[in-house]
Amino acid sequence: MSTSMVEVENLSKSFGDNLVLDSFSMSVAKGEVIGIIGPSGSGKSTLLRCINFLEKPNAGVITIDGERITIDSHSPSKISGNKIAHLQSKVGMVFQQFNLFPHMTAKQNIMAGPKYVLKEKVEVYEEKAMRLLKQVGLPEKADAYPEELSGGQQQRVAIARALAMNPQVMLFDEATSALDPEIVGEVLAVMRTLANDGMTMLVVTHEMGFVRQVADRVIFMDQGKIVEQGDPAILFDKPTQQRTRDFLSAILSHTD
Amino acid sequence: MVFNVVNAKAALAGLSMGLLMTIVLTFLCGITSLTAGIFVALAKMSKIRILRFAVTCYVTIIRSTPLLVQLIFIYFALPFVGIRFGPFMAAYIGLSLNVTAYLSEVYRGGIEAVPKGQHDAAAAIGMTKSTAMARVIFPQAFRTLIPSLGNYVVSLFKDTSLASTVTIQELMFKGQIAAGATYDYMTIYIMVFVMYFMVGFPAIQLVTYLEKRMKNGYARKKMTPENGEVSA
Ligand SMILES: Nc1ncnc2c1ncn2[C@@H]1O[C@H](COP(=O)(O)OP(=O)(O)O)[C@@H](O)[C@H]1O
Ligand SMILES: [Mg+2]
Repeated sequence: MSTSMVEVENLSKSFGDNLVLDSFSMSVAKGEVIGIIGPSGSGKSTLLRCINFLEKPNAGVITIDGERITIDSHSPSKISGNKIAHLQSKVGMVFQQFNLFPHMTAKQNIMAGPKYVLKEKVEVYEEKAMRLLKQVGLPEKADAYPEELSGGQQQRVAIARALAMNPQVMLFDEATSALDPEIVGEVLAVMRTLANDGMTMLVVTHEMGFVRQVADRVIFMDQGKIVEQGDPAILFDKPTQQRTRDFLSAILSHTD
Repeated sequence: MVFNVVNAKAALAGLSMGLLMTIVLTFLCGITSLTAGIFVALAKMSKIRILRFAVTCYVTIIRSTPLLVQLIFIYFALPFVGIRFGPFMAAYIGLSLNVTAYLSEVYRGGIEAVPKGQHDAAAAIGMTKSTAMARVIFPQAFRTLIPSLGNYVVSLFKDTSLASTVTIQELMFKGQIAAGATYDYMTIYIMVFVMYFMVGFPAIQLVTYLEKRMKNGYARKKMTPENGEVSA
């Protein structure tokens, strides 16, 4: 398929004898926004981390923007570090705990990738950093250190830092779960704009409202497998699987 | 009279030369160890087994034996197998090997204490392992380690007194000579004592100050009159 941006085929990953991803497959079209939901421990983070090679899968094929990586179960460690770093630079990732570099200002955090990885010119990455700070609504925080920023502000800088690499895909791993409820909205707003601008996004979240409004497709996963997927409006209102129903009713009773 | 001014005046020039040598030795060994310690720490964390093993042996041997014995071994024993160093080289090598071993452990602890999320974030923007180490991990580790590193340099300053055993004419050695010439141990060693203190005391004050500053976080690095950093 020429329009697919991310292609995951038979991805397996275990930690010790804990099989976390069980021959997982999915295809993400260019510009598609996918919400990934599921109970804690179902392998959502591991899936994103494998797609970004922060975890080394045991087996499977991952294709990002036409670049294909086959992980062979017999020699799982053969891919070169440079190849992995190259693929990682095409995939942006936003973490639950922000993980900003504490020794760099907001602007320096955003410039880190363009400067040290893309080796862009000073004028280029300075300009880019300021533009991204504006995009996430924090131009006045350019010289602030992460410790001087609220959680919501830190997460917006983290999104800008990922965007500075001109990624083809953005992965969000519970990007708002560590935030106070009243500031979740400011981060979701940035994500929503990004989705509207055509970014391909994989969003692991508990924000069902966001998934319903923004995602083109929702995937419900449990025990390392897709249980059910489809249009959010349909899946949320008429789930076909009992496990999906149980999960959704548990989530909904929580958020009230 | 406990303190003899005449003897003190006579010894002052020699002892000052000794103090200068002590400072030179501290400076050279300090720079060497602070740098080499980083590479030894990285070698200890490397994927290459033989390298890890070699470095572990080195660090273990140094940490399990007295510095005095190490210095004497290098200067007096190694010539018997044809390895000959002058006093200064012997002291420089001995002290640097010793301090490097300890500092490598300090560095390693600091590097390993940087949270995993920092490695993840660096990798996620496409940094290779070495770029991540240079730009993200090490700078954070180094900052937290500055007070400990400072303490080790102060220890080094004091430990250079052991170099007197390999005939380096540093402060302790000069003190022994002056004491032997006058038999006025009290006066001479009061002077030696005070001279070490004059350098050692401000040095530990500096370490304490750096320790406090570390606790202030990164934002305080910006010098503004409001946060009082300018006058400090
Ligand atoms: N680094 C790791 N080492 C060992 N087990 C892990 C590790 N990361 C995740 N796991 C295990 O993998 C399973 C799935 O975890 P995760 O992908 O974080 O789930 P989710 O994000 O859906 O909550 C859990 O059982 C978890 O304990
Ligand atoms: Mg998770």
